[in-house]
Amino acid sequence: MQKKNTIAAKLNNLLFYIALILIWQGVYYWGTAIAGLWKPYALPNPLGVVESLKKLAVTGVLFQATAYSLRRALIGFLLSILIGTVLGLVIAASDYFNRNLKPLLTGIQSLPSVCWVPFAILWFGLDESAILFVVVIGSTFSVSLAIENAIRTVPPLYIKAARTMGASHLQLYRDVIFPAALPGFLAGLKQSWSFAWRALMSGEVMSAYVGLGYTLMAGRDIADINQVTAVMLIIILVGILIDRLVFSNLEHRILKQRGLV
Amino acid sequence: MALEIRHISRTFTGSRSETLRDISLTIEDGEFICIVGPSGCGKSTLLNIIAGLDTASDGELFLNGNPITGPGSDRVVMFQEHALYPWLNVMDNVKFGMKLAGLPKEEQAARAEHYLKMVQLWDFRHYKIHEISGGMKQRTALARALCLDSPVLLMDEPFSALDKQTTNKLRSDLEHIWEETRKTILFVTHSVEEAVFLADRIVVLSDNPGCVRDVFPVDLPRPRQIDSEDFLKVRHQILSCVEREVQKFAKEEYDRG
Ligand SMILES: Nc1ncnc2c1ncn2[C@@H]1O[C@H](COP(=O)(O)OP(=O)(O)OP(=O)(O)O)[C@@H](O)[C@H]1O
Ligand SMILES: [Mg+2]
Repeated sequence: MQKKNTIAAKLNNLLFYIALILIWQGVYYWGTAIAGLWKPYALPNPLGVVESLKKLAVTGVLFQATAYSLRRALIGFLLSILIGTVLGLVIAASDYFNRNLKPLLTGIQSLPSVCWVPFAILWFGLDESAILFVVVIGSTFSVSLAIENAIRTVPPLYIKAARTMGASHLQLYRDVIFPAALPGFLAGLKQSWSFAWRALMSGEVMSAYVGLGYTLMAGRDIADINQVTAVMLIIILVGILIDRLVFSNLEHRILKQRGLV
Repeated sequence: MALEIRHISRTFTGSRSETLRDISLTIEDGEFICIVGPSGCGKSTLLNIIAGLDTASDGELFLNGNPITGPGSDRVVMFQEHALYPWLNVMDNVKFGMKLAGLPKEEQAARAEHYLKMVQLWDFRHYKIHEISGGMKQRTALARALCLDSPVLLMDEPFSALDKQTTNKLRSDLEHIWEETRKTILFVTHSVEEAVFLADRIVVLSDNPGCVRDVFPVDLPRPRQIDSEDFLKVRHQILSCVEREVQKFAKEEYDRG
């Protein structure tokens, strides 16, 4: 029954998107060929996008760009997790830093990552490390806030129980607070990942290094709006795919193991 | 001389009145003390202070002459809610405190087996916490608390969520364990019958502010028969004391509102 429902829902989804694409193509055809409202190269159309994708795939640009972008994103995000976790633990464990540092981090996190691009260029030049810098700075604080929030919302009873059983400070963190905070942390990491991925694109569009952001701008340079759209779709898909395969998957497993879903 | 509570008061910040006022009690080594009183009178608060999880606004506590300054495994608590860890299965929850204490693995396994069998959960040892019933959770928590073999055991209405049969069984089990080990037990309950069945002395708290209304020694021979004449007499005596408290409280509420 459950399974039937999800299949039906998926089919429903699929039909919706097929319809959307058909309408898109229809409107495009009507606007260019019949009503003559705009020039064919002014708007993307599904067939053109598919054509572009094919071209990008055949030349290998698509895979190369995706691989480079993914590599940067993963390295940058791992760095963010490392730095962000340390910072997050500091603001979670210390009242002083929680009161003073956390508002600052929240403030910085609200800054769109593209605002860091000038800094990146001034410090690192138009370099690979400039892109990495934007990714790291764009997602580190989000990781810190996720950790802090996850730790703050651990049920106090868990901690009380452990303390009456004689848990030391270290044991309290290792055996109670970390495992209890894990699902919340993973949920937060999902958001941090989307920050990292967006920051990467901000960094890549201004650089001349192989990557999806660069390919996007290359499409603009040759005024190929279908290629631009094709790359945008790939950027969306890769972001979602990583979220689904890595973070949502992990989160779901842990929640299931604890009977929370 | 074991546990000395001297003039404990507790006022929560932001609350208008004192929750506990001037509580003094001396609990001897190996005594079984039950605390009864109307809901909200501060029983859990008192237990938390003894556990070292909360600090009194005023007054002092001593365990064997040493002031109590924080929680410790010499005073294991069984909470009103089960407080088990959902990322561990039944067995690992029971072993949790022993692992913290660094007990040898074989010892951990032996004690866990002993107490899991006692609370009749041996067959469920591999279950996740969300896969067992509320009563089974409470029994797991009991096994976990007993495993640590602490000289003082603080229990906050541990059986209140269980059905009658399970409660009766666990009560006798607890009595047996107490007779064997001679732990000092502080047991909060809202059931006067339970208190009369278990306690050497029953402390009745009054409400608003919570203070010691009366202390009743229970001299009945063990194991106690809950339908014997003496039992019913003691039960009646304490019940009327508690009920006066509850009525007084209800009347005050009524007068105020
Ligand atoms: N952390 C807290 N902050 C403020 N007030 C509190 C806090 N904890 C308890 N209280 C208040 O103290 C009073 C006593 O609470 P407590 O939990 O000790 O009652 P209790 O006797 O255990 O009741 P029950 O039998 O219902 O469990 C209540 O009025 C409650 O509102
Ligand atoms: Mg209570």
